[in-house]
Amino acid sequence: MSVSRPVSGGFDAAADTRRSGGIGRETINGIVVFALSILLILGSRFVSPALGSWSQVLTVLTLASFLVVLAFGQGLVILVGGLDLSIPALITIGGVLSATWVGAGNPDAWYLLPAILGVCCLCGAFNGFGVTVLKIPPFIMTMATSIILASVALGYTSGTPRGASPDVLTALMKSTWLGVPTVVFFVVVFAVAGWVVQSRTVLGRRLYAVGANPEAARVAGVSVGAVTMTAYVVSAACAGFVGMMLVGYANGATLRMGDNYMLPSIAAVVIGGSSILGGRGSFVGTVGGAVLLTTLGTVISAIGLEQGWRTVIEGGIIVAALFFLREELFARLRRPGRG
Amino acid sequence: MDGQIALAVEGVAKSYGATVAIERLDLALRAGEVHALLGENGAGKSTLVKVLSGVVQPDAGAMTIAGTSFRPRTLTESRAGGVATAFQELSLLPNLTVAENLMLPRMPRGLFGLASGRAARSDATGILHRYGLARIEATALVGALSLADRQRLEIVRAMEHATRVLVLDEPTAALSEVDWLFGLVRQATARGVAVLYISHRLAEVRALCGRATVLRNGRSIATVDLAGASDADIFEMMVGRAVRSDRHARRATSTGPLAMEAAGLAGGGLKDATFALRKGEVLAVAALEGQGQRDLFRMLAGLASPSAGTIRVDGEAVGPRSPKAALKAGGGVAYLPEERKTEGILSSLTTAGNITLPVAGRIARGGFVWGALEERAAAGVAASVDLAERYLSFPIADLSGGNQQKALLARTLLTGARTLLLFDPTRGVDVGTKQSIYSAIRRFAEDGGSVLFYSSELPEIIDLADRCLVLYGGRIFAEHSGDALEEQRLVTSLVGHRGADATAAPAALAVPA
Amino acid sequence: MSAATNTAAGPATTRSQSGLVRGLTSGAAIVALLYVVLYALYGLWEPRALSASTFTSLVNNAAPLAIAAAGETLVVLTRGFDLSVAGVVSLTNVFMAVYPLEGPGGAVLSLLGCCAIGAVVGAVNGWLVAVLRLQTIAATLGTMIVCQGLALVVLDAPGGMVAEWVSYELTDRLFGVVPVSGLVVLAVALVWLAFSRTDTGIGLYAVGADEHAAMLSGVSVRRIRFVAFVGAGMLYGVAGFMLSAQTATGNPNAGAPFLMLVFAAVALGGTSLSGGRGGLVGSIIGAGSLMLLQKVLFSGGVSSFYTGIFQGFVLIAAILFGRAVPRLLGAIR
Repeated sequence: MSVSRPVSGGFDAAADTRRSGGIGRETINGIVVFALSILLILGSRFVSPALGSWSQVLTVLTLASFLVVLAFGQGLVILVGGLDLSIPALITIGGVLSATWVGAGNPDAWYLLPAILGVCCLCGAFNGFGVTVLKIPPFIMTMATSIILASVALGYTSGTPRGASPDVLTALMKSTWLGVPTVVFFVVVFAVAGWVVQSRTVLGRRLYAVGANPEAARVAGVSVGAVTMTAYVVSAACAGFVGMMLVGYANGATLRMGDNYMLPSIAAVVIGGSSILGGRGSFVGTVGGAVLLTTLGTVISAIGLEQGWRTVIEGGIIVAALFFLREELFARLRRPGRG
Repeated sequence: MDGQIALAVEGVAKSYGATVAIERLDLALRAGEVHALLGENGAGKSTLVKVLSGVVQPDAGAMTIAGTSFRPRTLTESRAGGVATAFQELSLLPNLTVAENLMLPRMPRGLFGLASGRAARSDATGILHRYGLARIEATALVGALSLADRQRLEIVRAMEHATRVLVLDEPTAALSEVDWLFGLVRQATARGVAVLYISHRLAEVRALCGRATVLRNGRSIATVDLAGASDADIFEMMVGRAVRSDRHARRATSTGPLAMEAAGLAGGGLKDATFALRKGEVLAVAALEGQGQRDLFRMLAGLASPSAGTIRVDGEAVGPRSPKAALKAGGGVAYLPEERKTEGILSSLTTAGNITLPVAGRIARGGFVWGALEERAAAGVAASVDLAERYLSFPIADLSGGNQQKALLARTLLTGARTLLLFDPTRGVDVGTKQSIYSAIRRFAEDGGSVLFYSSELPEIIDLADRCLVLYGGRIFAEHSGDALEEQRLVTSLVGHRGADATAAPAALAVPA
Repeated sequence: MSAATNTAAGPATTRSQSGLVRGLTSGAAIVALLYVVLYALYGLWEPRALSASTFTSLVNNAAPLAIAAAGETLVVLTRGFDLSVAGVVSLTNVFMAVYPLEGPGGAVLSLLGCCAIGAVVGAVNGWLVAVLRLQTIAATLGTMIVCQGLALVVLDAPGGMVAEWVSYELTDRLFGVVPVSGLVVLAVALVWLAFSRTDTGIGLYAVGADEHAAMLSGVSVRRIRFVAFVGAGMLYGVAGFMLSAQTATGNPNAGAPFLMLVFAAVALGGTSLSGGRGGLVGSIIGAGSLMLLQKVLFSGGVSSFYTGIFQGFVLIAAILFGRAVPRLLGAIR
C-alpha cells in the first residue's frame, strides 16, 4: 500500500526486530553506559593505586564537562536527523573571540560574552538555513560552514590568536566550591537541564517528532523548519560556549582548539544509544557516553601506554560499545505487543 | 491438474521475541486454484507471506512444494522453489529502470560477461508485451511511473518467476480496475500455478477465488468454499464475533451553516473544484485513482498551495499555508493522511505521544510534558475510537495497522478541529477497526463537526456519507445525495458517464479531457 | 471499485528520459563543466597553467584525493558513510615510509600491500555493518580511530622515506605529456565502469535506494554492503599509495585532511549522500575541482587565509547548481 518503504529503517533489513520499545531501551542504555564508566574507574585501581580516587573522579568530570555540553547540541542535531560538523570551527570562534574581545583583566566587558554566543547562534542559524531552506544535506552544509568559519578565524587572527582568559571564565573553570571544582556543579546542572529540555518539554517532543519522520511531523502541525533550525542554533551555542570553557581552562585560544572534539561529540551521542538516523535517544545516555569516553581517555593515559596503542584501544572500545549496545540485544527485553 | 497439492503448509509458527506472529498455521493450495487468505490486520497474513518468500524463517512446522520439502532462507531460494510474491509494499527500486527491476538480481550477460543493457531491455520489452503493458517503456525509471503502473510491474515480475505458487499480497491496493489482473491470474492458473490471493476487498475475493483460508490471531481458523459461505459467516470467522450491521439512516442534505468552501480550486492533477461542506455533514469524495483527489486533500490540509482558486474555512479566506496554520484556520481543519507509515505515525514515539503531538503546547504544564500527562490527555479520545488504553504507553510501531489508524484518527479528533479531512480512513484496516472508525466519524458529525473523506471503497461511501462528490479528470463531475447515492449510479459517474438522472454539478459541465 | 471497467489502464503512458538529457543532468557532467570553468580561470590568471608540468602537478596533487573519493563513493551509493578513509590513508602512508621496497617489483608489492591493508579494514567495516548491522558512521568511526592508532604505533612522528622508484616514477610524465598518476586514476575509473555493469554494481544502486525493496527483489544486501566496504578499503589503500608517492615521506596523520575533503568531493561529484544516485567518475572530477579551486584562488590573488571561505561557498553553490540544472532542463523539455 505504501509507494516504497519509508526511508527510516537504515540498515535493519528485518523490520520486525527493530521495533524495540524506544523508551525502555534508552534508559537501560544510559544505565549500562554509566555503570561501565564506574566500573572502569574502580577497575583502574588495580592497575595503579593512584587511580580510582575521588580526585580522579573530579578530574574526569571536569574534563567531561566540555564533551557533555558539546554532545547536548550535537545530540539535538542528530535527534532531528542531521549531523553538525561545524562544531570544531565554532569552538574556535567562541574561544578566539572571548580571548580577543574580552580578554583577561577586563571585567567590564563581560557583556561581550553573551554577544559572542549570539554570533555563534547566527552561525548555527546559517547551518539551519542551508539545511531547512536550501535543503542541502546536513553533512555537506555543516562541513561547508566549518570550512568557512575556520577560514574566517584564521584570517581574523592572522594565524596567531592573542589574548587570555576572561576572569569570569577562569573562575568557572579553575575555582572550587566545597572542595569540588565549580565546573562539576555546572555540568551536573547542565546535564539535568539538558535532560529536561530533551525529554520533558514541548520543544523536546517536537524534536523527536521531526527526527522520527519529518513529513508526518509536518502533517501533525509541527513547524519542521523552525524546530530543525532550533537544533542547529543550540548546537552552535553549545560549541561556542565550550570554546569559552576551553579558554578558561587553558587560559588562551588556539586556532585548532576544537579539532579534537568533533568525533568525540558524535561518539558520545552514539555510544549513549541514540540512533545516528535521528528520532531516538536520550540525553542521559549521551552524558553517560561522554563520561565513559573521558574516563577511558584518562585511564589509558594514566596507564602510560604510548599514544598509538591508546588510540587503538579507544577505537576498539567504541566498536565494542556499539557491539554490546546493539538493538538486537534489547529486542529481547522489549515489551510484548502485537505483531 | 486440479486437486494436486501444490503447496502444503503444516503447523508453521513464528514469533519475534515475545510477540507471536503466527501461532499455528495450516494451509494447502491446489495446483490451478486461486485461494484467498483472509484475516484482520495482525492475524498473521503478512508473516506467512514473509515465510513463503524466504524473508523470515519459521520457528516450527513444515512446508512442501509438490511433495518436496520447502524451506527457503532467501528470496532467491524461494524463487528457485517456484514461489514468487507480489509484495504489498512493492519491492521495486525507483532509481533503476523498468528493465533492471524486472531482471534483478541477475542481469542478462553481454560482452565480456558484463551486464548487457540491450539484452535486458529486449528481454524486459518482451515480458511487458506478454503481460499487456507494452505502453510502459523498458528504459523508463520506475520512479517516474504512476503508483498503479508500479503495482502492475510488481505483479508482472512475480508472475514471471512463479512457476508453481504465486502470492499476491493486496495486489489491487493501487489499481482501480481489476480486469487486467484477473485475466493474468486466470492465465496463470490455467498453467497449473496455484495462486494465494490476499485482499481486504471481499467482492474481489468472491469474483476470483474458489476457496479461502481464514486466519485469526495467528491461527488458521478454517478453510471454506467461498460459494457456500455468506459474507457474515466470513466476517464472523475473521473477527470471532458477529458484525454489527447498523446501517445508519442517511440524513437529508444538511442545510446548516457552511464549514468549508472551495471555489475554482486547481493545482497538480486538480483542474477545477468548487464545493461547500456544511456543519454536521459527512461529505464523501469518490474517484478512480489519479483524478486529482490527492491534490484536493493536500491543498485543503495546507500541504500544497493551489495554483488557482480560494479556500474558505468558517467564512474566512485562507492563503498558502501549512498544516499548522490549517489547524488554526476558523474552527480548525485536521487532516488524516493517506500513507500511514510515511506521513502518519512517528514510530519512535509512544501512541499517546503520537496522539497528543499537535496539541503538545496546549496540554503542557508550564512548557513541560511527560508520558503520564500525555496518556491522561489522550485517554478520552482513545476511548472514542475504541483504542484500548493500555496501548497508549506502547511505542506506536508495536501496534497493528488498525490500531495505528485509530490512533491517527484520535489525533485529528483531539486537535479540536471542527472540520476533518480523512483520506481513505479505513485503508488496509480490518473489519472491526472499520466499524470503530465509522462510529467515531458519525459521532463527530452528529456533534456538529463536518467531515470530508475520500474512500476507494464504494460500500463505505454509501454507508457513511450524507452526500458524495465524484471527481473525474480533475473536476467535480457529479454529485449524489439522498436515494441517488447508490452503487450503480456512482460507478457510472466514476468512469465519466453521465447517467440519466445524475445531478450534474455546475463545475462539471465541461466535458473532461 | 471492482465494477469499474477498463479505463484506468490508459492514461499513464510512460516517457523515457532521453539519454542526452540524462547524461547532461548527471552529476559527473555538471562537475566536469565546473572543472573546465575553473581551469579557464586558472589559465586566465596563470600563464603557465596550460603547460604539461603544471597540469601534471595538478593531477599529482589531486590523484590521492580522487581515488579516496572514488572509494568513498562505493559506500555512499549504498547509503552509508565510511570514515575509515582517514585511518587507511594514514596507515598505508606510514607503511610505505617505514617499509620501502625499491624498484618496479617493489612498487607492485607495496601497492598490493596497501590494497591488502585497505581490504582488511574494509572487511572489518563490512562485517560490522553488513553482519552485525551497526550504524555505518559509528562503526567506521571506531575503525578509523583504531587505524590512526596503528599508524602511530608504526611511526610515532612524521618521518621515514618512501621508495625512490615510487616517488619518482609515479609523479612523472609518460612521453613528457601524460601524468602517470593520471593513468592510475583513469584505471580506477575504467575498473568502475566495468564494475558498474555487473550484478553487484547494479546491486549497489538497488541497496542504496531502498534496502528492503532490494532484498525483496532477491538482491543479497549483506553481500553488496560487504563488497562495497572492501572495495572502498582497497581504493583507500591505493590512495595512500599515491599520497606516499606525492609526499615521499610518512606522516601518521596524513589521512586526517581526507576525512572532510573526501565527502566534499563526493557531494560535488553529484553522488547523493542519501544513496542510490551518482557514480565514481563524478567524485574523481569533484576531487580534481576541489584541488584546482585552491590553485585558482591562489593565482587569483586571494590570501591563503581566506581560501576556505570560497571553498565553503563553492561547495554550497555546487550542490544548489547541481540540483537546479536538471529542473531547468526538465522545464525546457
